Amino acid sequence: MAHPEVLEAPSAPHRRAVFGRLRDRLSGVVARAPASVRTKLLVAFLAIAALLVVVSVLGLRELGQANARVERLDALQLRSAKYQAIEATAEDLQQTLGVRTAGTKSLTPYTGGVTLPDRGRIWTLADLQIRDVLSQIELADDQYDLAVIGFVPPPADERVLRRIFTDWLTISRVVSRIQQLDKRSAHGGGETRPLLNTARVAGDDLQARAFDLASRAGSETKALVAANRSADASSRNLLIGVSIVSVLFALGLGLVLSWSLVGPIQRTETRLAEISAGDFTRRLDVPNRDELGSLARNVNRMNDELSRLYGELETTNRHKSEFLANMSHELRTPLNAIIGFSQVLRQRLFGAVNEKQEEYLDDILSSGNHLLSLINDVLDLSKVEAGQVELEIADFSLREALERGVVMVRERAAQNGVHLSLELSPEIDLVSGDERRLRQVVFNLLSNAVKFTPRGGSVAVATERTGGEAQISVTDTGPGIAPGDQERIFEEFQQTDVGVGQREGTGLGLALSRRLVELHGGRIWVESEPGHGSRFVFTMPLARARS
Amino acid sequence: MTGGRILVVEDNEKNMKLFRDVLQATGYATLEASTGEDAVELAVAHSPALVLMDVQLPGIDGVEALGLLRADGRTESIPVLALTAQAMQGDRERFLDAGFDGYISKPVDVADFLQTVGAYVSHD
Repeated sequence: MAHPEVLEAPSAPHRRAVFGRLRDRLSGVVARAPASVRTKLLVAFLAIAALLVVVSVLGLRELGQANARVERLDALQLRSAKYQAIEATAEDLQQTLGVRTAGTKSLTPYTGGVTLPDRGRIWTLADLQIRDVLSQIELADDQYDLAVIGFVPPPADERVLRRIFTDWLTISRVVSRIQQLDKRSAHGGGETRPLLNTARVAGDDLQARAFDLASRAGSETKALVAANRSADASSRNLLIGVSIVSVLFALGLGLVLSWSLVGPIQRTETRLAEISAGDFTRRLDVPNRDELGSLARNVNRMNDELSRLYGELETTNRHKSEFLANMSHELRTPLNAIIGFSQVLRQRLFGAVNEKQEEYLDDILSSGNHLLSLINDVLDLSKVEAGQVELEIADFSLREALERGVVMVRERAAQNGVHLSLELSPEIDLVSGDERRLRQVVFNLLSNAVKFTPRGGSVAVATERTGGEAQISVTDTGPGIAPGDQERIFEEFQQTDVGVGQREGTGLGLALSRRLVELHGGRIWVESEPGHGSRFVFTMPLARARS
Repeated sequence: MTGGRILVVEDNEKNMKLFRDVLQATGYATLEASTGEDAVELAVAHSPALVLMDVQLPGIDGVEALGLLRADGRTESIPVLALTAQAMQGDRERFLDAGFDGYISKPVDVADFLQTVGAYVSHD
């Protein structure tokens, strides 16, 4: 028993699959043709142009044939008209001969219904009438002549025409004889009767043959009209058919050609998008043996080269990461002993230390801590420079982040007698960025400000919304920064004279801050006048408003 | 109340001396190991109250040693703190994810160090 679905028409996906295979096969043939795209386009164009020429020539030929058919029909109609005229005249002739034979009463048509006394004159009039009718049969003057007929009749017609001519000639001679008799005798004598009979026999024959000719020409005309009609129809069908086939062929040619070009271009584009997204695992398969094929080969070569370089870059980066991690570890290990033992002694875990020893221990500790800060900052900076710092971008509250930053320096500020304040714009809520890194920047700026602000001074953190950004500023009442130093301080290991005098800080904090701000797509700068404090400003992108 | 002993795993002699002296001076009893293998052996033998584990060690590293301790029924419940100079960004999370109960980065602050240890073990 057949499954119902076997009986169903092919489903749409199935048809699409069949179409797809057909398309792939046809476009594959064009694609693999070893010719340039330009040649392929030219060939297609020429093929379509040739097709146009073929259609035009065919059309002209059919038109010529139709004209020839019309001409044949015209000739036939001319002939037919002539035959019909002969037939009509033959009928008239028979009638006049009949009247002449019948006698007196029948002659009244020639006299307007009045019986004339002089019968002889009436015969003469009747005979003249016969002669007149006879002359209307324009076959010849005194012998058979085609020039008088006006066309060349077909052989079958010609035989009949010759016979008609013979009849005509017979009648003509008989009528001439009768007319001679008319002149001699005043009335229609008995001699005319046998002559009239001869003329009537010939007239019958003539009429019969003329009828035969006319009807033959008539049916021939009908047949030719029918034949012409069917020939017109078939030539019209032929032209329509050839035109449709040509249009379909041109369409098909265009489609196949465009598939063979567009398909590879689309595949190349997709592959390039994948490559730019960092996927080097696949290769581009384009069968074309033209420019597109060579494009694909070059894309594949580029892919391989990029893949190799990317691999090398990854290895290098990994080595660099490992080196940084190892360095961090190796530097911290001895520092642990330096700082740890100093603290142990300083806390007098193993007995008393004198004042001088305590001072030295403090020096060791602060130098150790300084060294630790340097290690941390150098490593951070190296990681930023190596592109190994990946920001963990999220939307977070700027207010909370700044409050936490302020908390980190509050103790130090209190010790130094510096007043800390926070003035936040209500216009700013969420910003977009790495909160930990932002706090690192804020902490750097705040600890600098607190460090350089003399007792009784103040440090203010403020926010402001400018365009699509949040602007965060840290303003202090410290000594200020000379214009010449305002750029320099953002470079590695560059400090102002005041900073160097403080013997604190690594000279890396602002450099690192600048890198981190720039990683967020922001800017950092300082506005300052010596003696009037400094204002450090940086920008952060605002969080995108949620719809 | 007498607390248990603290097993210090550390391959750097000077740092070992520091931790040992600080702990002992504070009243803790210590066990010392300079390799992961020794650490596991000592932990099984003495069931210390706390393990302070350096990570970068000769032979098996601290993370592997932690795995061995956790895999052994006798040592699986002993708290183990990572005591390491691996202190780059993300290291703390990495070690806590690896199963350490806590994380102390070197260089240590002695006061903080003792406070952290005190949270796990009481001393004489």
